[in-house]
Parts: sequence; structure tokens; C-alpha cells
Amino acid sequence: MSKNVRYENVNKIYSEGTKNAVHALKDVSFTINQGELFCLLGPSGCGKTTLLRSTAGLEQISSGKMYYGDVDISTIPPYKRNIGMVFQSFALYPHMSVFENVAYGLRVRKTPNDIVIKKVTEVMELVGLQEELKRNPSPTALSGGQQQRVAIARALVYDPDVLLLDEPLANLDAKLRRYMRAEIRRIQKATNITTIFVTHDQEEAMAVGDRLAVLRKGIVEQIGSSDELYNRPKNAFVANFIGKMNFFNAKAVSVSSSETVAQIDGTSIKLTIPAEKCRFTPKTGDSVLIGGRPEHLIVSKENSEGSIRGKVHIIQHLGSFIRYEVDIDKGISPVTLEIDMDSMQKDIHENSEVFVNFKNDKLALFSPEGREL
Amino acid sequence: MSRVYSIEENGSETNRVKKFFQKDFSQLIIFAIPMVFLAVFLLYPLASTLIRAFWAPSEGLEFSGWSLEGFRQFLESNMYRKSLYNSFVISIAVTFFTLLIGVPMGYCVARVKMPCKTLILSLGILPIIMPSFVGAYTWVILLGNKGIVRIFLNWLLKPFGVTVPSIYGMFGMILCMTLTYYPFVFQLSYGAFAGANALLEESAMLMGAKKGRIMRTITFPLIMPSLGAAALLVFVRAIGNFGIPAVIGGNNYVLPTLIYFEMNGFWNINGASSIAVVNVAITALVLYIQKYVVARHEYETISATHTDVKLHESTGAKVFATVFCLIILVMSLLPQLTIIVMSFFKRWDGLLPTGFTFEYYTRIPRYSHKEMFNSFFLSITATLLCAVLGSIVAYITERKKPKGAALLDLSLMAPFILPGTVVSIALLSAFSGSSAIRLTGTYVIIIISYMIRRTPYVYRSVCASLTQLNPSLEEASTISGATWFYTFRRVSVPLILPAIISGSILTLTTLLQELSTTILLYAGNTRTVPIQIYSAVQNGKLGQASALSVILLVVVFAIIYAMNRRKGGDMSSSFKM
Repeated sequence: MSKNVRYENVNKIYSEGTKNAVHALKDVSFTINQGELFCLLGPSGCGKTTLLRSTAGLEQISSGKMYYGDVDISTIPPYKRNIGMVFQSFALYPHMSVFENVAYGLRVRKTPNDIVIKKVTEVMELVGLQEELKRNPSPTALSGGQQQRVAIARALVYDPDVLLLDEPLANLDAKLRRYMRAEIRRIQKATNITTIFVTHDQEEAMAVGDRLAVLRKGIVEQIGSSDELYNRPKNAFVANFIGKMNFFNAKAVSVSSSETVAQIDGTSIKLTIPAEKCRFTPKTGDSVLIGGRPEHLIVSKENSEGSIRGKVHIIQHLGSFIRYEVDIDKGISPVTLEIDMDSMQKDIHENSEVFVNFKNDKLALFSPEGREL
Repeated sequence: MSRVYSIEENGSETNRVKKFFQKDFSQLIIFAIPMVFLAVFLLYPLASTLIRAFWAPSEGLEFSGWSLEGFRQFLESNMYRKSLYNSFVISIAVTFFTLLIGVPMGYCVARVKMPCKTLILSLGILPIIMPSFVGAYTWVILLGNKGIVRIFLNWLLKPFGVTVPSIYGMFGMILCMTLTYYPFVFQLSYGAFAGANALLEESAMLMGAKKGRIMRTITFPLIMPSLGAAALLVFVRAIGNFGIPAVIGGNNYVLPTLIYFEMNGFWNINGASSIAVVNVAITALVLYIQKYVVARHEYETISATHTDVKLHESTGAKVFATVFCLIILVMSLLPQLTIIVMSFFKRWDGLLPTGFTFEYYTRIPRYSHKEMFNSFFLSITATLLCAVLGSIVAYITERKKPKGAALLDLSLMAPFILPGTVVSIALLSAFSGSSAIRLTGTYVIIIISYMIRRTPYVYRSVCASLTQLNPSLEEASTISGATWFYTFRRVSVPLILPAIISGSILTLTTLLQELSTTILLYAGNTRTVPIQIYSAVQNGKLGQASALSVILLVVVFAIIYAMNRRKGGDMSSSFKM
């Protein structure tokens, strides 16, 4: 029976009480709904793997509570939690056949042999390995994608309350990764087991998850659907981690209840951001960041009203769009801008002088706090 | 991984009691046993030895007051001084010569395209798994005063005015030990040369480096750690070797034979302890030098891809490599061949042996059945116990990483560098005479000494295999609902089994020919085959000694052969420290 997973003020401090103490999770509190495919996303060292391993019981949390359904599992050892987990390395047993690998959790539960055979067959059909099961080779004889499926089958066979996936696609090549993430979503939806999926790849998380949690330095920055996170990021960090966001240093020159007007530093360009696009409420004179995704900017040869002078650094043809990397005044944006255009722009080459313009209705306003990854 | 979580201690008393009984204690119990064993049979005896070293010499075992008498002997007694000097010279010379022949041989087999590589590697390991003192006395036959090889060589070298020195003495000991221990250098440098990532050398070549330069700046620096480990291994073995000096040393005592002399001649356990302490101090110093000077230059290989090294294919290189390896192999295996021949003949004074007979073999059941039983019983029992102890301690240090894991590692590995005679002295000083547990003359003391000395083989082998093993394999089992013990049984043990087996095989084969520890611990009814061989040699009964040695040889060879047939058997990690 699938259950929801609830965290209440979970803290994890490594080598607590010593000089090298690392606060890996800080007051993490949220709920993962029953049957949901939930992604934990964040840069390396953000605490997402720690949270997953704590959920599994492989790490001991320092304080707080974790619940599966109504049961407080914080003090229950991992082998009594009834969870399934797929490891990054798959962790298949080389000394057992594929069948025995998948059957392992059932053998542990002393399941009668006829039921073991039935359940293994079922789950192998679910993951699409019925042919391999007939041959029943050693898992080392399988391809990466097949090993991945065996690992998933092994985690699902005993109907766990919760399924945990620890960067399950990291060991696969790019094409297989895209295919398997769709497979994982299909299998998860077919079994409807509450699933936590850890990844550092935002594209993967957005593609797979019902909802995502973005973590940074042990703190949950934002939780929401892919669409919410992409279109309504709460802060500069989330904005730049979920997709790319270009930031322009600016000052708030007038703030009202319906909109904020910001002036880009060192220029006379004033941009008006409606209140629903303001991710915080600045006071007049505050430093703010104007955020625009690559597709919200325009690069052109002509100087027009309200554009910023820059120089093309690199042009990359990425198929459906062209990415222009443009350097502008470091006081406005210390990092190179990324601007996506639908087609190649005439007369713009690498090292060309260009002008950057804005699609004004798309821009958002962020606090300058924590823009860096 | 199965620790019960206690995040908040707000439970009532009954809750706490309940928690206590819910805990998985199987782990704790299994871990406690080796700890107790090590404390009682290793640390306590070593401490006892150290204390005794500072007692005045006495015939008995009673406390006779603090004294530096035992150490003063090294300044005053000519015999002590000479032994110390001999031990030094022999160990350094042997280390030097083994490197001199082992490294080129390793390079040849690893980097030159030549026939029968597997055979050369198998034959090249034989000298270390054969009883070394047996080799020593066959050199007496070959290079002794009337030895055929000596007569031949003297005839050959006469025009140059050189004569082959007598096998009795320093030359003989260095020769025998070099031919016995070069396999360590050969095998480890072979592994290093063969395992080196060819891309590193190829990239140097593309950057314009010539062969000599690549060798000097890339190849050698990268195999230095392996060579350092091999050199250390040889040095430690050479300084602790008892059999060879005992057979052909004559009046040239070394520290292990001096210990035996003190014990056997005067039952001076305190004096022997002093010698043991000096012996260990030297070994420890060399170990320190290796760990902190050579091992500092150990590198992690940074590479995603790995290609095999290209082999030298020129005819010159092939011929040279083959001839070189052949000469070394023939020389080092000559003793084993000689023994086989000699076990069938009554006399071998001149060029050829005379008086063919099966008598030595037919007499074995009558004269040696007790020794045969003892040897197999003691070795097999000790090996099984070593396997259990070594695997569990390896599992603890590698997987649980408790506080003090380094100390545990050190104490388990310590006997690896302790000469066999020193281990015997330690056990005798702790468990004989008036001590609480009296074990002298029993099977138990010999089994314990074997365990103490050989557990490092299994331990190292299992450690190496565990570091290769992704912990997530065990975690996956825990997640699937298995308790710690179930995981240990069904996942950990099966996966490290090859390492346990290869470590155990090495243990068994070396124990079957164990002499240096047993010689101080055996009693009339616990005599082993090697002891019988040794005393037969001392009494000039070379035929009987040969026949028994051949039996040992055949058994050991059969075990090794069976093990090599098993795929993936690799003993090299057991040698490393």
C-alpha cells in the first residue's frame, strides 16, 4: 500500500560537535503525496542524497521526524521500513542470477516459492524484461539499460510503501537516459507507488516529476510542478537552476502596489515589472535583479531605444534555436548573457558589436540575495 | 547499518528496555570475538615480551628485576654483535639482489611478447611457497664442498683465478634467500608494469619523450610504490628467516637463529625477548621508512579510459627476455628438482647420484604418520580460523570504520612483520611457566601462533576485495528488508569469498611448511613435517628429508595448481601491507 511521506523539521549534521561539522539538512519540512513521483533536485552537495538516504534509513538524522503515512519511521531501522531503492550503481548482485536478484526481497520475507515466481514474472513483465528472465543470465551479462530495469524490478517486487531512486540514470548514456526517464514515469504510474527521485539534472527532473523540490545547501528553496518552478521561480537561485536566467543589476526607482519600476545600473533604461512578476517587494532605492530567460531577450545589430550595447562572444547552433553568448558591461551583468534566437541573425558574427533588447512583458524581478549557484 | 535509531530519548523506561531487546546484537557478538582474541593472544604476549626484554636473564620464568642485560649483550658479546651485523648485511643484500633480478624479470614478462607467460608466472611464484630451508640444504648438495655445480663452476672459472665461495656462510645465505624471495619483487613489479595505463606512456611519447626518458620520468615513478612494497616484503622476510641460516649459516648466527640458540640452549626467555625486541625494532624502522618515504610517492591514477601496454616485439628483446627469465627460473627451481632426484637415491657425492631406491618413501607411513597428521591438522585448523578472523576484522575495518580502526589494522598487521621466532617468544613468554593460561607443548599454542602470523593474508586479501565492492550492494539488501546478519551471509560473504579463498590458500600452503614458529613451540607429540625434515637434515639423513620435502612440495603444488585453475584467483593482494 503506497503511503505519503512527511518530513518535520529534519536536520542532519555530519560529525556533529566537531570542528568539521557539516549541516547537510536544515529544518526540512514538507509532504510528498501518496502515489506522487517527486523529484529532489539541486547542485551537488545540496543535501538531496542525504535526504534520500535518511528517508531510507541509511543515514541517521540528527533531529526531526519522518513519517510514512501516519507512522513515525525516524527510529525504525531501514530493513523494517518496507522501502524499495534503486542505486546509482544499480547494486545488482554479481553472484546471483537476474531472477535471484529480483527475488531477493521476497526471499528475505520468506515468501513461498510459487508466489516468488509469480511476482518476479509479473514485475519483469512490467519493466519489459520477460525475454531476459527466460534466459536468466547473470546481471553482468546485461546492458546498462537492462541492468537499470532489473534494479527497478528488484525494488518493486515486494510492493514497497515508498520507492527511492538515487540518480538512477547517471550511469546511462544520453540517449538511453532520455528513454529510461520516460520508462520510469510509465512504471511509476502503473504501480502508483510514492516515489522519490533524486537528480542533479534539472531537465531530467522537469521531465519526470509530478512535483519537484529544489534544494540548496540543505534548505528547500521551492517546491512545485515543473511549470511553476520554470515560470514562477521564487528566487534568483531557483530561476537560474531551473533553466537559464540572465540577470541585470538594477535599482528600484518607484514601487507601487501594482508594479515596480527598476533602472538598470549605469544606464537610463527603466523597466516596469508588474507586481505578479516581482518575486519580492523592494523599497525604493534597493538593489534588485531583473531576470530574463534566454528566449526573453533579443539580440540585434541596430541600436534602438532601451537596449544595451554588448559584444558577441560565441554563437552556438543548437538545432531548434541559436544561442548567442553576449558580453555586456560587467557592472550590469558580471556573467556572459545567453540569448536564444529562433534563427541565425544576419550580419551578427562572433566578436560583432550588438545590442541586447528585452521582451518587456516577460521579465521578472528578483532579490539580489543568493543569485549564485 | 542496522543500528536502531534513537533520535530523541523521550521514551519511558519500558520503551527503552524494549528498544534494547529490539537491537540487532548479532553484529556486536560477531565483532567482539576477534577483538578478544587479538587482545589475549597478540597484544598481551607482545606486551609481555616487551617487559621481559627489560628483565635480567634467567633460566626460569620468574621475575628477576629490571635490567638492560639483554641489550648490553649487543655491545659486549661478540656473538650478538656479529648476529646483528649479519642480519643487517643479509637483509640489505637480499633486498638489493631481489630487486636486481625481480624488476627486469617483471618488466620482461609484462612488456615483452614472449611465450609461456602464464607458466613463467606460475613457476615464478613457486620459490616463496616452497619450504625455504629445504632449498637451502639442496644448495649444499649442489654448491657444497663436493657439490657438482661447485666443481663444474670452479673448473669453468679456473682460468680467471676465481673460486666459488663455500655455500656455508654469508654467500650461501644471501644466494638462497635471494632465490627464495625474488618472486615477491617479480610478481609485484610484473603487476605494476602490466597494470600501468599505456595512455600515460603514449602521451609522453607524443609530447616528444624518448624511451629512456619515459622510463625514467613516467614508468618508474609510477611503479615505485609497488617496488617499495616488494622491497619491504623481502627485507622483512629476510631478516626474519630462520630456516636458511639454521641450515647453512654454520657459525654465522643471525637474530632469529640467535633467539633459537638462547631458547633452545639456555631457556633464557628474557634474553631471547631482548633479541626479539631488537629484531622487531629494525623491522619497524624499515617499515616506517617504506610507509613515509616511499609510499608518499603513491599516486592515484586519474583516467577514464585504460588501454593495454604495447609489447616489445623485436627478436632481440624476445630472446633476451626469454633467456633471462629461464636462467632465473632454472636457478630458483634447481633446489626443488634436486630434491626430487635425491629422494630416490642413497648417495650423491660425485657427479651423479647412486643407489636408486624407493625406501625413503616406503618408510614415510611408519616413521612420519604422526607428523603428517600434525602438519595437516594444525595447518587446516589454523587456516579455517584465520579465514574467519581475517574476514571479520577486514569487514569491521573496511565497512564499519570504527574509531580506532587504524589501531586494529596495525595490531592485526603487526605479526606480518614479526619474525616467526619472535611470535613464538611472545607466546611462550605469555603462556608458559607460571602464567595463568599454560599452553606450552599443546596444539593450541601452535594453532594460535599460526593464526597470529597468517591472519594478515586473509585480512589483506579481503580488505582489498571490500574496497572494490560498492557499499550500495549491502545497502540494497538492507533496503530490501534483510537484517545485518542476513545481508552478511547472503551478500557480503559470497562476494568476498574469492578473496577469502585466495588468502586461505596462501595461508594453508605457507603453514604446511612453517618452521620458524613451530621450532620453538613444538613438543614430542606436536611435531610437524617441517620439523622432522629439519632434524633429518641436521642429522645428515638427506634421503629422508628429501622424500618428506617432495611430499610437501607435491601437496603445496597441487593446492596452488587447483587454485590457479579457479578463475579470478589472485594472490598478489595478500602479499601487500
